[in-house]
Amino acid sequence: MNQSRAQRWVLGFFVLLALVMLSAPTVVVMGASVSAGRMIAFPPEGFSLQWYGKILAASDLRQAFGRTLVVALICTAVALPVGTLAGIALAKFRLRFAGAVQVYLLLPFTVPLIGSGIGMMLAFGKMGILGQLWPVGIACAVINLPFMIWAVTASAAALDPDLELAAANCGAGRVQTFLSVTLPAVTPGIITGSLLMFILAMNEFLVSLLLVDARIVTLPVQIYNSIRSIITPDLAAISVVFIVMAALAIALLDWLVGLDIFLKSK
Amino acid sequence: MGRIRQQGPQPMIRDAANAAQAAKAGPAVSVRGVDMDFGAGPLAVADAGFDLARGRFLTILGPSGSGKTTLLRMIAGFQTPTRGEIFINGEPVSKVAPHQRAIGMVFQKLALFPHLTAAQNVAFPLKMRRFDARGIPARVEQFLDLVRLGGLGGRRIHELSGGQQQRVAIARALVFQPDLLLLDEPLAALDRKLREEMQLEFRRIQRELGVTTINVTHDQREALVMSDEVIVMEAGRIQQNARPVDLYRDPANAFVANFIGVTSFLPGRVAPGGLECGGILCPGTPRQALAAGTPARGAIRAEQIRMAADGAALAGLDFRLQGQVRDAIFEGERQLYEVVLPALGGIAVQVYHHDASDFALTAPGQTVTVGWNRRDMILFPAAVP
Repeated sequence: MNQSRAQRWVLGFFVLLALVMLSAPTVVVMGASVSAGRMIAFPPEGFSLQWYGKILAASDLRQAFGRTLVVALICTAVALPVGTLAGIALAKFRLRFAGAVQVYLLLPFTVPLIGSGIGMMLAFGKMGILGQLWPVGIACAVINLPFMIWAVTASAAALDPDLELAAANCGAGRVQTFLSVTLPAVTPGIITGSLLMFILAMNEFLVSLLLVDARIVTLPVQIYNSIRSIITPDLAAISVVFIVMAALAIALLDWLVGLDIFLKSK
Repeated sequence: MGRIRQQGPQPMIRDAANAAQAAKAGPAVSVRGVDMDFGAGPLAVADAGFDLARGRFLTILGPSGSGKTTLLRMIAGFQTPTRGEIFINGEPVSKVAPHQRAIGMVFQKLALFPHLTAAQNVAFPLKMRRFDARGIPARVEQFLDLVRLGGLGGRRIHELSGGQQQRVAIARALVFQPDLLLLDEPLAALDRKLREEMQLEFRRIQRELGVTTINVTHDQREALVMSDEVIVMEAGRIQQNARPVDLYRDPANAFVANFIGVTSFLPGRVAPGGLECGGILCPGTPRQALAAGTPARGAIRAEQIRMAADGAALAGLDFRLQGQVRDAIFEGERQLYEVVLPALGGIAVQVYHHDASDFALTAPGQTVTVGWNRRDMILFPAAVP
């Protein structure tokens, strides 16, 4: 492309601005987490890994982290079959109420999280299952399901319908066709969606806050509780752990299916 | 190549002895009064019927939207006829699911499984049809050799060239030795040279295995080159079912005459000995008896019109008249001329001319003589508006 010098400067400026804005919180938190001082601060006072040592030693943080992992696993385990089947159905079949189903599945996005959180708190309370971890996992699955469905739908829509006819022509019945042709074709979408669900459930705060009690706090809620007293650099260290986990998930995604499918997904 | 006994069950054949007897006696494929109604507009396929004998290569030829692919997909079992019945080896198949029909198919976009290697693609029908697992690798090898892909079985589909992918698709369709092979325009997307190469390749393999084959295409050359029999379809109806030579020499109607070959049409009325066009009697032969005075169209092939700068060179023809060259298209081995005939009211005819030394003499604007013999112009009744 033929760009003038002024165009390049303007474009470069906005790209730089966007990069700074996007990475600033991460940089600040990472800086603060290695502070040698007693208060959270940026730029950090000196360098020390003491806060990482401290969060490793803190049993309440470790337990909260473990609970968060459980919630994320339950959420993924629920969303994986539901989102996969719903995504394939939406992409492949001309459903009678396709429009309505699509809106219904995207509804969690339109209702404010606080609204669905309170709704689920009331519902779960009525059922008498509040105070356990698995309802939190299910709640995370419900509110984030559209991400899973989107990821699978994007893969399934790219599937050539002739492939399934070819499988039938080769002698494969409906179940065999699904297992040997349809499923492999949408696997990238399933992997993408599952990792996304896992990370979103790990980070889920508002709905967890409403559904947990003091015995089963998840990590984001634990962090929130800590902020209300004194803000110490160990919170920054925990945040960095979160960031690293998200980065690992993205690296895993890139290695397994490549990021381009994720970026291209509708 | 020896026919290998299929170990898997063949649900289509309920009584093996009966079926074998019926198969020997009757046609491999029989289509009887088949309609396909998609609900909107005219029938996609209307009253289709034909028989195909064992081991024959049939091409269904037609423009896009003529219903040829729909007919093929009904034979494959992907669509169910709204009326009529299709028989394979004498058995009605309307209620047989596609995966229970012993039919191999090469799809238009090939539809190879992208997550499998070439060999795994070829092995897939054998696994699905529960062949003895111990025999599968050797069988796959044998068919990869047949399509000249020996040694490339380990490649992923996207690592193969377009021609190689075609060959994998052929091997996958044939590996379980189906009763019937269906080809859904698999060559349409290839460039001309590769397409012509693959046409001969399909023909070689089909002859080698002796498998009954139905091919669908809109390419008239492909139909003529590859087939034992050709069915021409238009607007959902079979227009003609004939050997390639007969189809070319003796088209059943004006559509077929126009669709195959380069054909010029002269409008007029039937007169004794030919067509009366612009007050001149043009010699021609009606395909079926037509009363004198009936509105008709005379069809004549570009290669059956002779042309010369000097009219005396055409003395032996039944009919001669003068025209002006309007356009000349150089096609390499021959030249295609468009010649305007003022005596016939300015109608243009298309003429193939092979004499290289004459090319320069007949430039646009030049006056030439064209002519033809009575038997070469066929009269069809004019379409009723």
